[in-house]
Amino acid sequence: MNPIRKQRLYALVAILIGSLLATWLVISALSENMNLFYSPTEIKVAELNEDTLIRAGGMVKTGSIIKDTNSLNVVFTVTDYQNDLEINYEGILPDLFAENAGVVVRGNLNTDGSFKAIEVLAKHDENYMPPEVAKLMQEDS
Amino acid sequence: MIPELGHITLIAYLVLCLVGGILPLAAIFFNKAALEMPIKRVTSLLFSLITFSFLILIYSFLVDDFSVAYVAQNSNINLPFYFKFAATWGAHEGSLILWILAMNAWLISFIFLTKCKNTDFLNTVFSISCQVMFAFTLFTLLTSNPFERILPIPPLNGADLNPSLQDIAFTIHPPLLYFGYSGLLIPFAIAVAAMLFNTDTKEWASYSRPWTLLSCSFLTLGIALGSWWAYYELGWGGWWFWDPVENAAFVPWLLSVALFHSLITSQSKGVFGKWSILLSILAFSTSLLGTFLVRSGILTSVHAFALDPERGLFILGILAFFIVGSLIIYSIKDLNQDNSGTYELNSKEFGFLLNNLLLVILAISILFGTIFPLIYEAITDGKQISVGAPYFEIILFPFALALGLLQGIALYLSWGSSSSFSFIQRVFLESISVFGLILLILYILFDNLYLTSFITIFLACWIAAGTLQVSKKRNINYWSFLKKRLAVTFAHVGMAILVLGVGVVSSYSLEKELILAPGDSFEFGDQIVSFESVEDTLGPNYFSKSANISFKDTQNDTNVITEKRTYVPSGQLTTEAGIIMEPFQDLYISMGDNLEADIWSFKVQIKPFIRWIWLGALLIAIGSMLAGIKQIRRA
Repeated sequence: MNPIRKQRLYALVAILIGSLLATWLVISALSENMNLFYSPTEIKVAELNEDTLIRAGGMVKTGSIIKDTNSLNVVFTVTDYQNDLEINYEGILPDLFAENAGVVVRGNLNTDGSFKAIEVLAKHDENYMPPEVAKLMQEDS
Repeated sequence: MIPELGHITLIAYLVLCLVGGILPLAAIFFNKAALEMPIKRVTSLLFSLITFSFLILIYSFLVDDFSVAYVAQNSNINLPFYFKFAATWGAHEGSLILWILAMNAWLISFIFLTKCKNTDFLNTVFSISCQVMFAFTLFTLLTSNPFERILPIPPLNGADLNPSLQDIAFTIHPPLLYFGYSGLLIPFAIAVAAMLFNTDTKEWASYSRPWTLLSCSFLTLGIALGSWWAYYELGWGGWWFWDPVENAAFVPWLLSVALFHSLITSQSKGVFGKWSILLSILAFSTSLLGTFLVRSGILTSVHAFALDPERGLFILGILAFFIVGSLIIYSIKDLNQDNSGTYELNSKEFGFLLNNLLLVILAISILFGTIFPLIYEAITDGKQISVGAPYFEIILFPFALALGLLQGIALYLSWGSSSSFSFIQRVFLESISVFGLILLILYILFDNLYLTSFITIFLACWIAAGTLQVSKKRNINYWSFLKKRLAVTFAHVGMAILVLGVGVVSSYSLEKELILAPGDSFEFGDQIVSFESVEDTLGPNYFSKSANISFKDTQNDTNVITEKRTYVPSGQLTTEAGIIMEPFQDLYISMGDNLEADIWSFKVQIKPFIRWIWLGALLIAIGSMLAGIKQIRRA
């Protein structure tokens, strides 16, 4: 074979293998690590499996934060001003977590309809709101 | 009056950029010598204008001129002066000015330092750069003017700089990162000029290489500092979150690394010319895309600036103009770039080809995961998802593995084809030294071994052994051999150290959250941790609760302070982690919530080898900086 052609063949084979591998990886990794976002209202409507990992969010209801005094358990309620969702979490909350502030949680539903969070994300500064929550608030008004 | 001076200077800058973006090109293509510009002088003038404008903004911060809206939003009378200074680039508007300043700094360095003697080529690079700077300045003036005033009644005090940004690493992290991003402008402009004039591959690659290396160096430093800042300032002890904005910096970094490797081949052998052009366009585009993602606020990110869809659209417009424009030139110009050099499978050329292939596919996969939520929202009509960190880890691992394996043998390869005998012999030698190193590290480390940590430790040793290989020629002294290749040695050993750090810290970290009262202590790893006392302290613009913690093992007894600060006037809480840094591990504690009286929750962590990640990144930055400087001198 002519050297230039051989060279092209090498390159082509390498590119083909590389992109096939990447596509397969991307698809398999994406199907396992894609978390859908639900508002409290959507959770009411959707019939979710208890072990599906999802994200939920809204505003933290004033007066709803109950901290345990001898463990790291905390319970609070998020709302989209139509429906509420009770969140259980064990761990230290982020500094920016506060009443009447936007929050996004990741976790799954309990059998009683409350939400067990494994991660709590609060907004980064006063001007910023997670886009999901911002969108919820817009739809309301 | 003074802020208006900055505003007017910025407008003058805009006009001059527009002229610089059009006239030299017109002079070349309509063959009118009368339109030519003295580009050295014009670049200097441009640089003075933007520097002046930036200095005025700094001045407004330092004298607390709260009639300037941007100052009022991001500063405060009680802010220490060095943070007032840094607050200049603390938010969207000011950081844009810094960005433009950085682009101009690269342009002026290029114009004055390059060995390129071709006037038309230089004028074109100048013009393309002016066009980009014009677009950014127009964007600043129309949507994000930092000199906008609150008149007639300015506020008496400002709203304050975001407390988590009041930190030394923050004062230098954004400038470094912006210099890294904006440095990719030069390779882009060179690539466009190379297409327009169909410049010889070897020639234009030699102009582009030093600047690609330097901006890669700045990007590395900027990203590493950001990671370090997140590690100790956010109080979570994490060093990488796969946040969209981190990815937006990581993708151009990967592409710039691919680009300068490809440019080595282009410059030495005259091959991969078209590919290097495409890569230059891609690297620059992803750095613009990063800006778009950060500034439009369309993705959930801890970094997002305040939302403003109008800004997003404007940046998208800039992005589209330059990407589409350059790609059109790429597709319609009959480029005569790739010439005849031939190579075998075991050649250096093929090694670089694989390196580029892996880096680019990795970059695209990460980019895809980052913007996938947007695609998904568009095709499902508003359903929102996020792509978690595991996605990126699954993608990264096999590519990093392949890249590392390649890196370990890359330096043995020769142009054209490598003699297989010495190649195999040396790889065999390398394998032996690798296993020696692994045994040593495992001896320092621990009792249990995970498969992934074994693989990463192996990879680190493999890369290091492949870099510090014995010289090909027996009669050359080993040290002078290494000295000749100082830059690549720094960078590749840096990569080995980084891989080692990542591998160990992700498998052997310990973490615990618990509640303690003063006087309590508990066992953690090989440490005894005690909560000794908590007291109130006062800072210049905050008050805080600080807890005194001691870590005790068989040899040392060290105390460390962790704080919960409340900033005035925003009332925002921040956590200051207490960190004991040791060469082989960090002891990390951060204060959580106050449960009652003096009882607090804490998060304690032991992070082995974490410092090695940043040390590795620093070596990579030094290596590419050295290579860049060497190239500028030599070219």
